Amino acid sequence: MRTIKVNYRPSVKLKRMIFISIIVALVFSIAFYIYSRTFAKSERLGIRMTSIAFNSIMERVVGTMIGMTVSAFIIAFVSLAFQTTTGSRILTPSMIGFDSIFIGTQTIIVFFFGTATEIFSNIYLNFVITAGAMLAVSMLMYGAILRNSKNNIVFLLLFGLILSGIIRSGSTYLQTIMDPSSFAQLQAATTVTINGMDTRLAKFLAPFMIALCLIFLSRHKTYDVLALGEDNAKNLGVNYLKESNFNLVMISLGMSISTALIGSLTFLGLLAVNITREIFKTNKHFLLFLASGLIATLALVFGQACAEMSQGSIPVTVIIDAIGCSYMFYLILKENKKL
Amino acid sequence: MIQLKNIFQTYGKGHVLNDVSLDIPDNAITALIGANGAGKSTLLGVASRLLPVISGDVLLDNVNIRSIKTREVAKQIAVLKQTQSIGLKVTIAELVEFGRFPHCGGRLKAVDKEKIDESINFMKLNDIRDKFIDELSGGQRQRAFIAMILAQDTKYVFLDEPLNNLDIKYSVEMMHIIRKLVKRLNKTVVIVLHDINFASAYADYIVAMKDGKIINQGAVKDMVCSDVLNNVFDHNFNIIEHMGKRVCLYYGNHSHDLIPNFNSEDEFLNQIGHNHSATELDKSIEKSRRRDFFKFQYFVDKIKSKDKKTCSNENEIESRKEGTKMN
Repeated sequence: MRTIKVNYRPSVKLKRMIFISIIVALVFSIAFYIYSRTFAKSERLGIRMTSIAFNSIMERVVGTMIGMTVSAFIIAFVSLAFQTTTGSRILTPSMIGFDSIFIGTQTIIVFFFGTATEIFSNIYLNFVITAGAMLAVSMLMYGAILRNSKNNIVFLLLFGLILSGIIRSGSTYLQTIMDPSSFAQLQAATTVTINGMDTRLAKFLAPFMIALCLIFLSRHKTYDVLALGEDNAKNLGVNYLKESNFNLVMISLGMSISTALIGSLTFLGLLAVNITREIFKTNKHFLLFLASGLIATLALVFGQACAEMSQGSIPVTVIIDAIGCSYMFYLILKENKKL
Repeated sequence: MIQLKNIFQTYGKGHVLNDVSLDIPDNAITALIGANGAGKSTLLGVASRLLPVISGDVLLDNVNIRSIKTREVAKQIAVLKQTQSIGLKVTIAELVEFGRFPHCGGRLKAVDKEKIDESINFMKLNDIRDKFIDELSGGQRQRAFIAMILAQDTKYVFLDEPLNNLDIKYSVEMMHIIRKLVKRLNKTVVIVLHDINFASAYADYIVAMKDGKIINQGAVKDMVCSDVLNNVFDHNFNIIEHMGKRVCLYYGNHSHDLIPNFNSEDEFLNQIGHNHSATELDKSIEKSRRRDFFKFQYFVDKIKSKDKKTCSNENEIESRKEGTKMN
């Protein structure tokens, strides 16, 4: 017997319910994360948790939390904006190899200036330089390819892959001829993880990143229109060239900052944005922005809590990728069945 | 009125538009026709500000379009390129709401809502207004996009091959709607059409393009004649008049070209796969087939003797019928 499948479409009430449950889940994951960093750890080590110890841990936890939240929001926002303007649901800007540019910049700094130099040891200065390098390269790449060849995404992806390949092998070469102590320090600096996140930097950058998020949010109506494609957007009186240039700057900025802060989380943006699109089935970018930001934060915090519980034996990227991959497979198979 | 003055557009080496000047008449349908690569879509893009002008001017009511804010132009000129099935989760109603974007920036007022309902009703989409556009058929989607453009409430409407991907029923329906836009809503429509017969039946003016230039323009009755069209399309046209409308036949001019030519009876028999007969029965079949050949030859001669132009479809059909019977 054939059953007619009714397409899933959430009512306003259901959307609100989902939204609230995401927030509730987020609160629980934050609690879980705090527990994993404090009581779970003390129990494992057999130490009684004192209020002094708890407070000092919490200070670090709050810093990490801020860093994770703003980074997750930035990654989700940037991915959504990128997908909307390129009209592709399978790409995120991080796939184009921001991490290799990050590693390349650090390697060049250490190789030519040594580890003692101010630009390597001063985290703020170092951050400005690496983020600046990522910004410059990505702007150049997006500007040259996306604008000239009319959203040729495949070409962009290819270009990005080749570029990151070159940079990666170039930095590997420099690293092999480097002296071992510099190499060790470089290694420590380039393996950016959430645990290794510099909370000072996170707190320093947080206001800036929040401002970036707010700019994205304030432009949600423009993104609604941009989603219709270039011609339709132009027809509706959007200054397409100006908007897309501005958008590219914002995307590069967001990606550079988040990569320098917590490293490359290739899957997070893709996962968060696609889940949001599937759940909410809407083109209203205000909702999409907020929900994808929350989902990204949820995934990151929950994943990080799991990583803490496993005593770091499972990195958070593995958890996110595992969940993300299986969900993406499910989506692809479901989409296929419909056709 | 929209006027184009000395437009040159270049991509790479050649001129896509080479010194094109055009006045688009108000309150009428102007059809752009021409072969592939003649520059129709580029002209439409330039006139509707989708493409930036490289050299030359586009004037909207005697004001250069470049000096008008994009938002303001969007209140005057609406343009629809070919609609792809974008995998967007947008309902028809939401899509039509976008048409009000130039007027209200996304914050709908009572006037906007009224316009939206009006356009949805005009395009007869009210029953399916809450459907997602990726669930629609090609014709419905096309209508939804037209409704968006209607909600935009502009004087000028540019459409790039709106009949693409539409079957005959929807194509005719679409052209009727476009006629209604001009007659009832006093709009000025410019439309790129591939099928010359649609242009002939529904347009008021035709602009013919070839190699980036306008080679002819004028009212339909002056444009739809074989002299003009043969030149535009590099192809021979047969034009017949039917119920006051001119119809172009361009499926090959000589209907007898379609009929196979046999020089002798044996050749005919070979062609239809008749082997030389041995038995009595075979012989009688052969006899009747030889008769068929003469019948066939008779019709062929009749057709060939007639003038090209007076040779109507009927003859062709008749002779084909005979042909199949014989086989």
